[in-house]
Amino acid sequence: MTSSSSSVSADAVPRPDAKAGLMGQAQSHPLPWLMPVIVVIGAFYLYPILDALRLAFTNASLTGGEEVYSLAALRAVLTNPALPTVLGNTAIFTAASVVGQMLLGLGIALLVVRGERNSLPGMLVLRTIVLAAWVVPGVANGVIWSMLFSEAPFGAINSTLGLMGIAPVSWLSSPQNAMISVIIANIWQGTAFSMIVIYAALKGIDETLYEAAAVDGALPWERFAFITLPQIKVALLINAILITIQTLNTFDAVISLTGGGPGRATEVLSLFTYNTVFNNFDLAGGSVLSIVLLVIALALAGLYALFLPRGEK
Amino acid sequence: MRVHKSPIARLADVATYVAAVPIAAFFLIPLVWLGSLAVRTPQEIFLGASRFIPENPTLDNFTRVLTDSGFLVYLGNALKLSALGGAGAVLVAAPAAYAFSRLRFRGRGTLMTAILAVQMVSGLVILIPLYRYMGRLGLIDTHTGVVAIYVAIGLPISVWLLKNAFDGVPMVLEEAAAIDGYNRFETFLKVTLPLAAPGIASALIINMILNWSQFLVPFIMLTADSKWPISVAIYNYAGSTTASTTQLLAAACLVTIVPAIVAFLLLQRAIVSALTAGAVKG
Repeated sequence: MTSSSSSVSADAVPRPDAKAGLMGQAQSHPLPWLMPVIVVIGAFYLYPILDALRLAFTNASLTGGEEVYSLAALRAVLTNPALPTVLGNTAIFTAASVVGQMLLGLGIALLVVRGERNSLPGMLVLRTIVLAAWVVPGVANGVIWSMLFSEAPFGAINSTLGLMGIAPVSWLSSPQNAMISVIIANIWQGTAFSMIVIYAALKGIDETLYEAAAVDGALPWERFAFITLPQIKVALLINAILITIQTLNTFDAVISLTGGGPGRATEVLSLFTYNTVFNNFDLAGGSVLSIVLLVIALALAGLYALFLPRGEK
Repeated sequence: MRVHKSPIARLADVATYVAAVPIAAFFLIPLVWLGSLAVRTPQEIFLGASRFIPENPTLDNFTRVLTDSGFLVYLGNALKLSALGGAGAVLVAAPAAYAFSRLRFRGRGTLMTAILAVQMVSGLVILIPLYRYMGRLGLIDTHTGVVAIYVAIGLPISVWLLKNAFDGVPMVLEEAAAIDGYNRFETFLKVTLPLAAPGIASALIINMILNWSQFLVPFIMLTADSKWPISVAIYNYAGSTTASTTQLLAAACLVTIVPAIVAFLLLQRAIVSALTAGAVKG
């Protein structure tokens, strides 16, 4: 921690009155201001994370009992035959959701910006509809899509296909289709976030760049590739970090749409972790898994961050 | 005022709509379908898509869900938890956000990034140990325990939203207050906070919408169904309904999402500008 005086510029006149500005005051030390946040983050994040690390090396169970330190939980989790399946599901679910949300979000943002620039009516409506899906709670998202994907003869999609003379699709009972269904539901809900981040980045691009390009006779795809994309690169990367982590942590939409099934076909790491702790009461094993989840999130965030231009901020 | 457009520009306009309409349909149809199911009679449920517009629409499903199934209680719980959790997060975040906006100190950027990074931590990671502390403190199955965790979860985004709100308050006004003899804390309370009120309100609403969606925390922390917020209730309700009660589940689901969507629609402009303020600078 540093004292506030270091931030007063060196050439400030050393008159006592010079401190009449806010910077010179006693309450300009940051610590008291930051204290509430530090306390809450310490108690609810740092300490629990350290404790989860500790629990990972115990035999702790949710049902209580004597706790001893051991590597048994670690070994049991890492040799669990279900783990490769779960990690594979997580990779597919996360990668497909992130790519889908980024592309769709980018597409919608470009459409809305183009529409607004040409004063086409209805663009606010489009943006609002996409954002409405975003505020739907995750559990409700799962419930809504379970109705849409319902394999009963009266299910939304299948009965529509039936009207068109197309055979019903086993959206949720076939393992491959169930994963696709979960991804569609997740893209439906999550796209708005990417759209709004990219939309903001697009609006922030200096118009004169396009004017200059127009003078140079740049084609539309050249404008996109050489102005738009480089200008929104940072926003795209930050967005990728955020939605990757959101998707990794997604739990509610999956549990309410498929419950992880059929079998383990859609059981992602967050759901597997939940089941380990709260259905099998294996606190130690769940802690190992939650640390794995955290490490994967940090590793991916670090990976994307490598592509950020240096000296940003 | 009519702007003359070239044929190519007109073609591009048409293409914009050709792309926009299916996208709008993809995002809108699930909600419209939910609405269609929610006002059907059980008989019409079994007619599927061919009865998209019900012939005998009914509001009975809503009455039954709200009264018989206790969804009024769940709505109340959800509102209480969301509001208290959001208010708590904004309250705890405000001083730090002010420091990040106004004070210059070493490690400022790093600390801000660190607070944002906290958001990457899955709720599950912290909930496993927290569940045990809460148990020792006797806070399992209490709203206090849930609100405390909501405050912690809402904190990182609140710090960022409030920092952006404070950044928008002209420094000149604070300096004027300082000359009038206000100390920094008084300036914060009497000048910055009131002037940043719209931004603070957006932060509160965004927190409430996020808390409304919260499932994991109350699902793990609350066992007594009289204490459930609506997200947990709808999950359990979905597990207990069958094909012949789909219309009730749809009504319950609509009751779950409508408050969030209405809050969002009313404050869309403020919410979008609060969310994008950081993105533009980023």
